Amino acid sequence: MSTRKASPVAKTGVIVASLVVAALALLPLLWGLSTALKPTAQILTYPPVWLPHPPTVESFTQVWQQSNLPIYVRNSVWVTVASLVLSLVLAVHAAYGLARFSFRGKAALMVGLLATSMIPGIAILVPLYNLAVHSGLYNTHLAMIIVYAAWNVPMLVWLLKGFFESIPPELEEAALVDGCGRLRAFYLIVLPMSRPGLLAGSIMAVMFVWNDFLIGFTLAISEQKRLLPVGLFTYISNYGVEWGQLMAATVIALLPIIIAFFVLQRFLVQGLMSGAVKG
Amino acid sequence: MDAVLDRDHDSRMAHDASLAGHSRSEPRTNRASSTAPLPPGRITAALRAHWLTVLFIGPAIVLVVLVSIYPVFDAIALSLYATKYAEKVRFVGLQNYVELLRDPTIWKAGANSLVYTLGSLFVVIPFSLAVALLLNRPSRIQGILRTIAILPWVISQTITALLWGWLLSADFGPVTYGIDALTGVRVAILASPVWAMVALIWINVWSSYPQATLLLLAALQTIPRELYEAAHIDGAGSTASFRHITLPLIRSTLLVIVIQLTLLYFNMVTLVYVFTGGGPLSSTETLALRVLKTSFENWNLGHGAALGLIITLINLLFSLLYIRTLRSPKP
Repeated sequence: MSTRKASPVAKTGVIVASLVVAALALLPLLWGLSTALKPTAQILTYPPVWLPHPPTVESFTQVWQQSNLPIYVRNSVWVTVASLVLSLVLAVHAAYGLARFSFRGKAALMVGLLATSMIPGIAILVPLYNLAVHSGLYNTHLAMIIVYAAWNVPMLVWLLKGFFESIPPELEEAALVDGCGRLRAFYLIVLPMSRPGLLAGSIMAVMFVWNDFLIGFTLAISEQKRLLPVGLFTYISNYGVEWGQLMAATVIALLPIIIAFFVLQRFLVQGLMSGAVKG
Repeated sequence: MDAVLDRDHDSRMAHDASLAGHSRSEPRTNRASSTAPLPPGRITAALRAHWLTVLFIGPAIVLVVLVSIYPVFDAIALSLYATKYAEKVRFVGLQNYVELLRDPTIWKAGANSLVYTLGSLFVVIPFSLAVALLLNRPSRIQGILRTIAILPWVISQTITALLWGWLLSADFGPVTYGIDALTGVRVAILASPVWAMVALIWINVWSSYPQATLLLLAALQTIPRELYEAAHIDGAGSTASFRHITLPLIRSTLLVIVIQLTLLYFNMVTLVYVFTGGGPLSSTETLALRVLKTSFENWNLGHGAALGLIITLINLLFSLLYIRTLRSPKP
């Protein structure tokens, strides 16, 4: 990275290293895709058959029609969207309040909020289960939506507060002079200007909920309420392993995230830089 | 941030004054009289700002308190009881903790957590730094290489574990076949206690190196090129400039990454649970995984809550270290 005139040896080294990195990241995924596209006879072979010939979507249609995968997908989409909306509504207002109003204990509140995101999820899983059972919300999507929203709020507030503070208050001032209310000034001026922050926060939140296993695992028991990651896991333990179908289901679960990743990579990276969500 | 909207300025002052009056002077006087010289219009403005603050910030706080803070106290209560399913049966004081600390398998799980966390750090730091250095070189494929390199980051722990389980399958896995072809030995990786841990550490590195790489890349990009050029003119080779320029300037980022990843690895459950379930012979059963199994496989919520709190305490120690590191002056 320092010297300009790279020797041919160094150049080859860099190319080799790049190939190794790319292969390490991609090959496991391609192997999953290859398995998903294979006819059953080519899956359970040793030595392995590398590429499906001919590729077939047999496994995809089977897993979609014969398992509860469609239910899991629907559940995950609903819980992800609903928790995103809930956490955004709450976090957007809280972040604006923290960015624009001044009151005692504000700094402590911000630090406290950050501290809650450091409570390990695994440590409060039992009480959350307990809370869900005793409030009658066990085995409902509402319980999961509430927990996911709450876990995403601190990250969103920190991220959005920074965005709101970077917007000059004079803009709102002008709007107020024009007879706009404080709330309308916020919704019509500040929010649209914070689109990059909203997008970065949203994709972090969506990725977290879509990928999370533990809450779906502990707060729901029935097939009808099961989320996708738990569905993939129980698939493997319930039926023995139909690897072709499992990999097809995995590809289906991965697709939205990978597409979002390619389209919104810039915002995702920005979201990461602003601090991680609960692990 | 302190440049406040004109119209709101007065209300803010009034609001602050009223809060100050509320807490410092005679506590029970009503707000209007303690901040006497305000005309009525300003008082309503102050109240409105106050209301708006509560309305904007309140709901988020309530939710976070309910879902993140209240459970900690509930866990403390639960950990002091003998439980049957979700019900507290009998107050037992610290007995759950005593039983846990006397259980040799808990100490074994603690040792596994340590091996898992340190082993993963040991691999991920040099690996993620190497990838970051590679991505920091200007080249034509830099953009696409970065996209590919950080791809594992968006893949969930569940899918990472399922995918690698299939890659390492003793019967049909391509990795097994590769090892077989190279060494002539066909190993059942996930059936061996040692190799299962090695594999677990590797897939953990695979799924978590991208975030370290991205943070390091950001740090590398803040280093001015001129420094390297000057060093080059002074005759420093690339090893020397790495040691004397790069390393000192990314030191604080490295520290932050080490602490973040330590917490991530120590608390990690899903990857381990789906990949090995803690086996074979409990060789990959970490403390965090033990919480899940104690609570939701053995249904001993009292023990689960107590162990969860022990983990929280260990986290707290790490977090204090984290805060101290961030506060210490950057070199």
